[in-house]
Amino acid sequence: MAQTEISKEEIAAVYPTVAATVADALGCETEEVTPQASLIEDLNAESIDFLDIVFRLERAFKIKIPRGKIVENARGALSEAEFEKNGIVTDVGFAQLRAYLSEVPVERFKTPTKVKDIPRLFTVETFCKLVVAAQRQAQAAG
Amino acid sequence: MRAIEPVLRAGPHRDARTMSDHFAAFSFVDRIIELDAARRAVGRYEIPAAISAFPSCLVAEAVGQLAAWVAMAHIDFRGRPVAALANETRFRADAAPGDTLTLAVDIEACDEDAVAYSGSAQVGGATVIELADCLGPMLPVEEFDSPQALAGRFELIRGPGAKPGAFHGVTPLRVVRTGGEAGHSATATLHVPDAAPFFGDHFPRRPVFPATLLLDAQIGLAMSVAREATCWGEGKVPKPARLTHVKVRSFTPPGATLDVEAELAPGGADEATIRLSARMDGKIAATARLDVVAADAAFAARDNR
Repeated sequence: MAQTEISKEEIAAVYPTVAATVADALGCETEEVTPQASLIEDLNAESIDFLDIVFRLERAFKIKIPRGKIVENARGALSEAEFEKNGIVTDVGFAQLRAYLSEVPVERFKTPTKVKDIPRLFTVETFCKLVVAAQRQAQAAG
Repeated sequence: MRAIEPVLRAGPHRDARTMSDHFAAFSFVDRIIELDAARRAVGRYEIPAAISAFPSCLVAEAVGQLAAWVAMAHIDFRGRPVAALANETRFRADAAPGDTLTLAVDIEACDEDAVAYSGSAQVGGATVIELADCLGPMLPVEEFDSPQALAGRFELIRGPGAKPGAFHGVTPLRVVRTGGEAGHSATATLHVPDAAPFFGDHFPRRPVFPATLLLDAQIGLAMSVAREATCWGEGKVPKPARLTHVKVRSFTPPGATLDVEAELAPGGADEATIRLSARMDGKIAATARLDVVAADAAFAARDNR
């Protein structure tokens, strides 16, 4: 999700399908799903729901989102040691995380940030970005 | 650093292990007769003639177990998939004691994190069940079973095959209806036994109440609501057609008490969807939706649960 900035137009193009997918996976109404909604805090998603949503998005968009790598992607080019220490995101890791999750309102970031709490930051728009990134990757691969 | 841990919430540990039941009390693949590593497999299971019934949920379990064998073998028995997501299960016909199931799975993706698959079971060339878009997250196998024992069992079923007839059925679960509105909804309490042979097989190192048995109990409750409903045409009775959105959120240990609920929403002509949920200690443990259709009473013997 780092490469070129993902545009609002790209996000808008995938949002309706992402929102419908999230609503179906969580058994909630589409109206409850907004781009800024945190999946865990606002929509009561659990880890199994993340797996479900990724699985459904892969089908809906015919893309591949590496399972188990969503958080790993957040550290970008940083090594694990640079990104976190004893489960706590380092200063440089925090800056990377803020940049990676640019769609997440600043007030939602807590310091210190625990690695295990990173998924709490994920919003519906985060998943839109994952989809766009996966689409770009698929296009690049031909 | 994995995505989010844990994939399934851990329930309290209770011990109900009986090693003699390993690969016997809840194992439904006798032999793998075709295997295209991590892509496709065909297996066989002889339903013991001596048992009283073999519900569709156990047929689905057999298909899932075949996928699990393929997935575990692919990653050298470091992980095992656990039932978590099944997007669609279509019930085509019943399987009966004495039938031989031909199981087939198509593996869509398989790695250290999860296995995604679809599958089916046939009896005498006729499809009895179809599973689509299933996903099982992989958990460390050592938490549940002996990797060596699993590898040995795989060699047996991949080779000459296991001796059929080890399964002796499941003692009916205690489901006590507690409330609801006739024809619209029902609540019930499901008492998971403290000890049962299937806990020795599912799983030897960590007994977990099989999600397919929970689903079977939930479908039983749902069908009791459906039978009470008045939306069915003259001479017709409701019949389970499709189970969708199955999501298992936590492990259910021996001795647990589950609050199960079924709520019917009429659909079009002669069809309805029943939302199913199970809660443990107030938290959602599993959810699913059951699509029910009307069938001529004469052909709907399977609904007499």
